[in-house]
Amino acid sequence: MQQSEVEGIKKDFLQEVERASSNLELEQVRIKYLGRNGIVTKLFDEFKSVSPEEKPLFGKLLNSLRNEATENFNNKKKFLESNKPSDLSDIDLTLPGKSFKLGTKHILNQTLFEIKSIFKGLGFSVYDGPELESDYYNFEALNFPHDHPARDMQDTFFVSDKFLLRTHTTPVQIRIMEKEQPPIRAIMPGRVYRNEAISSRSYCMFHQVDGIYVDTDVSFAELKGTLVSFAEQFYGAGLKYRFRPSFFPFTEPSAEMDITCFICKGKGCRVCKHSGWLEILGCGMVDPNVFRYVNYDSEKYTGYAFGMGIERIAMLKYGIDDIRTFFENDLRFLKQF
Amino acid sequence: MKISLNWIKEYVNLDGISAEEIINKLTMCGLEVEDYNDQNKKYSGIIVGLVKEVQKHPDANKLTVCTVYDGNTDLQLVCGAPNVAQGQNIVLAPVGSIIPKGNMEMKKAKIRGVESFGMICAEDELELSDDHTGIMVLDNELSAGTPISEALKLNDVILEIAITPNRPDALSHIGVARDLSAIFNRELRIPKLDFQESQQDIKQLASVEIEDKINCPRYSAKVVTGLIIKESPEWLQNKLKKIGLRPINNVVDVTNLILHEIGQPLHAFDLDQLADKKIVVKSLTKELKFATLDSKQRALPQGTMMICDGNREVAIAGVMGGENSEVTESTKNILIESAYFNPTSIRKTLKKIQLSSDSSYRFERGTDPSNTVYAAQRAAQLIASIAGGEIAKGVIDEYPHKTKQKEIVLRLPRLKKLLGYEILKADVLRIFQKLGINLLKDMGEALEVIVPTSRPDIEREADLIEEVARIDGYDKIPVIEKVSITLHKRKDDFDLEDRIREILVGMGFNEMVNNPLIPKKNAELTGSAIEITNPQSQDMAYLRTSLLVSALPAISNNIKKGEKNLAVFEIGNSFNKLKDALSSFSDFNEKKKIILIITGKKLPRKWYAAEAEYDFFDLKGLVTAFLSKISLDNLLNDSYNSIQDKIYDYQFALSFNDSEFGSGGKLNQNVLKMFDITQPVYCFEGNLDIIQQISSQKRTFKELLKYPKIYRDFAFLFDKSINYASVKDFILREGGNILKYVELFDLFESKDIGEDKKSMAFNLEYYDFERTLTDEEVDTDFQMLINKVTKNFNAILRGK
Repeated sequence: MQQSEVEGIKKDFLQEVERASSNLELEQVRIKYLGRNGIVTKLFDEFKSVSPEEKPLFGKLLNSLRNEATENFNNKKKFLESNKPSDLSDIDLTLPGKSFKLGTKHILNQTLFEIKSIFKGLGFSVYDGPELESDYYNFEALNFPHDHPARDMQDTFFVSDKFLLRTHTTPVQIRIMEKEQPPIRAIMPGRVYRNEAISSRSYCMFHQVDGIYVDTDVSFAELKGTLVSFAEQFYGAGLKYRFRPSFFPFTEPSAEMDITCFICKGKGCRVCKHSGWLEILGCGMVDPNVFRYVNYDSEKYTGYAFGMGIERIAMLKYGIDDIRTFFENDLRFLKQF
Repeated sequence: MKISLNWIKEYVNLDGISAEEIINKLTMCGLEVEDYNDQNKKYSGIIVGLVKEVQKHPDANKLTVCTVYDGNTDLQLVCGAPNVAQGQNIVLAPVGSIIPKGNMEMKKAKIRGVESFGMICAEDELELSDDHTGIMVLDNELSAGTPISEALKLNDVILEIAITPNRPDALSHIGVARDLSAIFNRELRIPKLDFQESQQDIKQLASVEIEDKINCPRYSAKVVTGLIIKESPEWLQNKLKKIGLRPINNVVDVTNLILHEIGQPLHAFDLDQLADKKIVVKSLTKELKFATLDSKQRALPQGTMMICDGNREVAIAGVMGGENSEVTESTKNILIESAYFNPTSIRKTLKKIQLSSDSSYRFERGTDPSNTVYAAQRAAQLIASIAGGEIAKGVIDEYPHKTKQKEIVLRLPRLKKLLGYEILKADVLRIFQKLGINLLKDMGEALEVIVPTSRPDIEREADLIEEVARIDGYDKIPVIEKVSITLHKRKDDFDLEDRIREILVGMGFNEMVNNPLIPKKNAELTGSAIEITNPQSQDMAYLRTSLLVSALPAISNNIKKGEKNLAVFEIGNSFNKLKDALSSFSDFNEKKKIILIITGKKLPRKWYAAEAEYDFFDLKGLVTAFLSKISLDNLLNDSYNSIQDKIYDYQFALSFNDSEFGSGGKLNQNVLKMFDITQPVYCFEGNLDIIQQISSQKRTFKELLKYPKIYRDFAFLFDKSINYASVKDFILREGGNILKYVELFDLFESKDIGEDKKSMAFNLEYYDFERTLTDEEVDTDFQMLINKVTKNFNAILRGK
């Protein structure tokens, strides 16, 4: 018995297994090598007559040959069987696929993410801020005088004389400007609270995205351009829009942006209160008083700011008619998006 | 605020401009028309009809069959009204017209077998009143066929305008007319005064004294004597009704008319009820019970500004008059108050006494201090003309604090810079002139102007720019298509949150957004809760101290609705107080947290697998998988607690260095009972702020293993008290340095192996980065490990 002989047999066997293209051929290979009178079986017979010094070497060689041969043979057999065309008739291919559970992001966060992505593309950085806010940041520094009816525009939940649940995400503007110098180009998404009677149209909390841009030459025309670009990306190109004067203590001039009602295409319907227009956001040029609170030179810098409610946008976009649905977290609702 | 377009037209000529255009332009100048009611459209098709003949209905006692002439032809109709009679002019709604009440189209009908081609209307059907006692009978002079809108002068358009708090000047018909005159460049016509005064000097009839000069900078008054209180004439009643006011009597109606015409609130006192015929304006030095003219007793706090006579209070200044001095049927002589009160003072009073009126609404926003005398005179003129009586000579006008008109400079280049387009100087000047903003000095590129006292909102250059822009029209501002942007210098603050959401969605979790406002007993379950000072209800009176307490109601509701298998998460803030009184940001904390909740079946019945319930180890596995996706695996230490606490039956906690990241486990029965949940719930709540602070471990590339791995298995019988973690740690520590990984692949307990025993089977992974291992060296280490485990744990090797 020669070492080369054993290795040669192994090589031949592996090649023949590889070449076998049917169960029948494979079985013939098995008989040839592993059968009672097969080549490998014979080798084991010969092993008995090997000298004691050579026994360990050949023992290892033969074991490895038999193990590898058997493994190869079994693998090939499995492979051939899985390809056997006649077996297909046994499988009911119409059985349902095994389920794989995927979750869902809350539709408000999906909407928020979409809005955020558009503004990030327009060069706005994204900032977070606290929900439990001071009167100073929520009102005073945003030019809401004490004892002024403007404060009635935002019914507030208080937790003490000085602290409250923020009524808008605008206070984050002040927090950014206190820490950084212009240019500032930022949006601030987040949760806000209003002490309003709960109904299908209003809830005690909702979400907003606020934005601000402050630099040396920021104009109302640029504000319009930026917001129109946002609206066209979000609501679709070629939409009709209008900016009309409004009032916010922290902007002057102030405006609200309307787009043509996409439900009735401007003809007038229940959703747009028969006006043909849908209000989508408030905006304006940053009020010089706000700059004074953060020690910006309002002669040198101008800026614009805007803010929008996420629930309203999502309600319009997905035809949700009751704002409370967002916060009931009924799985049947969550799973729809 | 309701505005009548016909009324507006008394002050500005709007000929040739359609109602639609007026409405659109008002909205586009900042006076948003929220709704409108066009009476022409409302009454279209409804006409005057002449009743030619009335006969009894052959089949019904209470009905009549009428022949009505519509100006063109005779119509037969069935009528149920008791007052219909031959020769009357009536309101005819023929077939095809729309009945305003209920917005119903009139159709041909057969009533008890008689055909009817229309309806004779009562007042309620035209929405003129609630009256349905009989049909309306019209003036005999009218000719049949005349549109009813023309016959009844119902040709007005009533606008509902939302006035923003910065525009008190627009809270009247003249105020709105002023903006329209600027927009359409037409002249504003303020009504001229024209009245006779008696010989009697007002100063002999009444006097006014202001004690609180800061809060009442001006008090003007007129006196009318010898008048007769009665119903107002129809024109006045109609004017008020159109804008939703209820007529009361000729004096009160005039004061209401002036308020809605000019915006100056007035109050008429019965002069004979004023002690010493004297008015004193002063603040309360102590609390007072006071009966207002709506017949309600009100508790007024100290400091409330009051109008008093010689010895008592007669009105809450700027808010509401008192019962003790109101105008009644027997009133003969009146004093008309026309004052200017400090808006802040009025607002403070309103907040304290929770009362407001049309007057206080205007005072708290700021009326025009220059208008008081004019308003008092115009009221006196109208009252004298409809209630008789004589206007006393002269006017009382106490004006201790003169309001200064503001002088502001507008730089035209600044206007262009801020708006982004140029408006011609001539146009700017025209707009200013129409708005009553007068030019003081033209300095070429800059204009110095003086602002009327009716515009407290205009204080700075930016305010003037807004005035110009809103009248010129925001649609004239160009839409720039090219902007320069600032490059980002930082990561999105919400980056981690957004990544976590995607990961959990991939893992099968549904995201919730719960209301952080919750009841006290829930909030106090997991921390020191912060109370809302002015909650809407006790159910929402506290802030959540954890996400858990605000999420469990949603879990409970879902289970009740049949959604019993849940894997949900939320990312949100929770709030805890650190001190009782919150006066600085260090007195409480607000933390961003994440919660994962699983309950019910992980796998419902399937054709290919048996159903399985969620358990503690699902929770642990999900948390571990989630942490590995944000690169936090192997950074956090875990600890366990199987002792029941307030929240959990048993739990595990994860921490980084000394700060706990979060904990989770099986919720205990008491908590579940509070939320009416009857199935096991597992949850984990972690602190995202802590994760933000741990800069996630950097994933760096590891050389791929070039050499084969060798595996060995063993199973041991252990005492039940020995836990997995201690065995695993021991194996890794003692298994030799070529043992790289160990995994538990079987756990088995049964009576057959002994009640106090358990079998754990492990798969061991051996490899080396530098070379191929030989079976012999693995066997050597493996055998040694078997001996050590056996000895250390007093364990028995199984099988083999």
